[in-house]
Amino acid sequence: MNTETIEEVEGLFTYLLETRLRPEEYAWLTTKTTEIQSTGDLKQLSKVFAQVPRYASKDLLGWKDKAIMDIKKLIPGYDLGDWTVETFCRVWLLKQLPSGDQEGYLNSINGLFVGAELNELVALYKAFPLLQYPEYWVRQCEEGIRSNIGNVLEAIMYHNPYPATYLSEPAWNQMILKAFFMEKEVTKIYRLQERLNPALQATLADYVQERLAAGRSVNPALYKLMEV
Amino acid sequence: MQTQLDLSDISGMRFFDPHVHMTSRTTDDYQAMADAGIVALIEPAFWLGQPRTGLDSFRDYYSSLIGWERFRSSQFGIKHYCTIGLNSREANNEALAEQVMELLPSFVYKAGVVGIGEIGFDDQTAAEEKYYRLQLELAKEAGLPVQVHTPHRDKKKGTSRSMDIALEHGLSPASIIIDHNNEETVKEVLDRGFWAAFTIYPFTKMGNERMVEIMKQYGAERIMINSAADWGISDPLAVPKSAALMKQRGISLQDIELVTYRNAITAFGQSGQINEKDFEQTQEVDQAQKFESNSILRGGQQPRIDKNNIIIA
Repeated sequence: MNTETIEEVEGLFTYLLETRLRPEEYAWLTTKTTEIQSTGDLKQLSKVFAQVPRYASKDLLGWKDKAIMDIKKLIPGYDLGDWTVETFCRVWLLKQLPSGDQEGYLNSINGLFVGAELNELVALYKAFPLLQYPEYWVRQCEEGIRSNIGNVLEAIMYHNPYPATYLSEPAWNQMILKAFFMEKEVTKIYRLQERLNPALQATLADYVQERLAAGRSVNPALYKLMEV
Repeated sequence: MQTQLDLSDISGMRFFDPHVHMTSRTTDDYQAMADAGIVALIEPAFWLGQPRTGLDSFRDYYSSLIGWERFRSSQFGIKHYCTIGLNSREANNEALAEQVMELLPSFVYKAGVVGIGEIGFDDQTAAEEKYYRLQLELAKEAGLPVQVHTPHRDKKKGTSRSMDIALEHGLSPASIIIDHNNEETVKEVLDRGFWAAFTIYPFTKMGNERMVEIMKQYGAERIMINSAADWGISDPLAVPKSAALMKQRGISLQDIELVTYRNAITAFGQSGQINEKDFEQTQEVDQAQKFESNSILRGGQQPRIDKNNIIIA
C-alpha cells in the first residue's frame, strides 16, 4: 500500500472507532494503546487484547456504512461489513503497534497467537492485510488453514485479500480444498476464479469424481470453478 | 413410577451445567446434552488423567479450553465457559506449579473465563495449600469467582479448611462455589454463606434421589447441581435427568430452575463474562432449508447420526 492509501485507511479506521464505541470504551482503548505504544509491554498488550470484549460490543459493523465501502475500494477484497465491533477494535489495536523494530513487532504479534482465545484468533487473522512485514505471516496463515475451528477458517478465507496476495500456489490450493471440504462459502474467497491453476483444477476434478463415486452431492460452486 | 428418561418431561426447560469436563467427552455427549436442553456449561481446568510434565502442556490445555473446545461446543448450540486454574493434584509438583502460577495471568482475563478453578485440596498437603492460597489472591486481583474442588477423601475436614482459608484471604463467601458437597458438608457451607454445588455422579459422589432429600431439607438457595462428567463412568445428562426426577418427586419448578440453571448463572456471572442473551435463544431446526443443495445447518445444529443403525454413511 502506498503512503496515501495507508493514511486514508487510517482515517477511516479512526472514524469507525469513534462512531462505534461509547466514549468510555473509546477512552479505555485509546489510552491503553498509547501506553503500549510507548512502553512496548507485551504482558500489557496481551491483557488489553484479551479484554477488548469488555469494552466493545459484538454488534456487526454493517455493510452499508460508507466507510466500509471506502475501505473496500482502497483495499480490494477487504470487506469489514461482517466484522463485529470487538474484532474491529482488536484489529485497530494491532494496526497501532510500532513496527520500526522488526523483531519486537513480530514478537508482539506472535505472542498474541500463543494461547489465543477463539475470537482473538479471528481478529488476528482478519488483521493480516494490515500487518507490517506481510511475507512473514505466510507461515502463520498456512497454520491457520490447518485449523478445524470454523470461525478461524472463515476469518482467513472470507473477504480477506491476504491469501490471494501472499500464499504460494500449493498453499492457496490447500486453502481452496479445505474450503470445499469444510463446506465453506467459497464465493466469499477473494480472487477464487483468478487464482485457479492447473494443479488445483486437477485436484478439484479428482475430488468431484470422488464425491460422485461415493454417491455424495457435489457443491455446484465446484463445477462453476472448473468451467473456466 | 417410571424412571426411564423421557425428554418430554423436561421439554422447554433450559439447563446450565457448571462443572463438566468436555475434553474427555465425545460429540455423542454434546448432541445428547443439546437434545436434553443444556444451553450452556462451564468446563473447569483439570488434570489430563495423568500428571503433566511441562508448562507447555498446561498452556496448550488452557488454550484448548478457550479455543477448540469452545468451538466444538458451539457446534451443538451449547455456550462454553471455563474456569482456569492449577488443580489440587498437580499443585504437588512444585517446580511446575511455580511456572503455572506465572502463566495463569495470561489466561484468566480472557473472555468467557468465569472463575479461578477448579482449585483446592486433594490430599491436603502443604503444597496444595500453598497454591490454593496463591490462587485465591489471584482471584481477588482478577475479580473472579472461585470454583473450589473439595477432596473426596477426608472431605468434611477438607471442606471446612477450604472455607477457613478463603475467608482468611478476605474473599467474600458469595464469590466462592464449594463443589462436590454431600450430606456431611452442606450445612456448614450454606451456613457460612458460600454457594453449595453438588456433583451428581454414579457410585462415588452424590446421587440425585439423595439430592432431592437435601433440597427438601435446605431448599434451593445457593444450591446448584452439576455432572462433573469426565473420563470416569459419569453422565453428562446428570443435570436434566435430575430435573426430571425432582419434578417427579414434587420439587417446585421454581426450585428446579434455581438449582439446574439460575444459581449457577448468578454465582459465576459475578465474573461479568456471562451474557444470558448468548444462550437464551433456542436453536430452530429447519431441515427443509437448503443452500446450494446442501442442507443448511444453523449454528448449533450438527448432522445427526443414528446410533442404533449398523449403517454408517
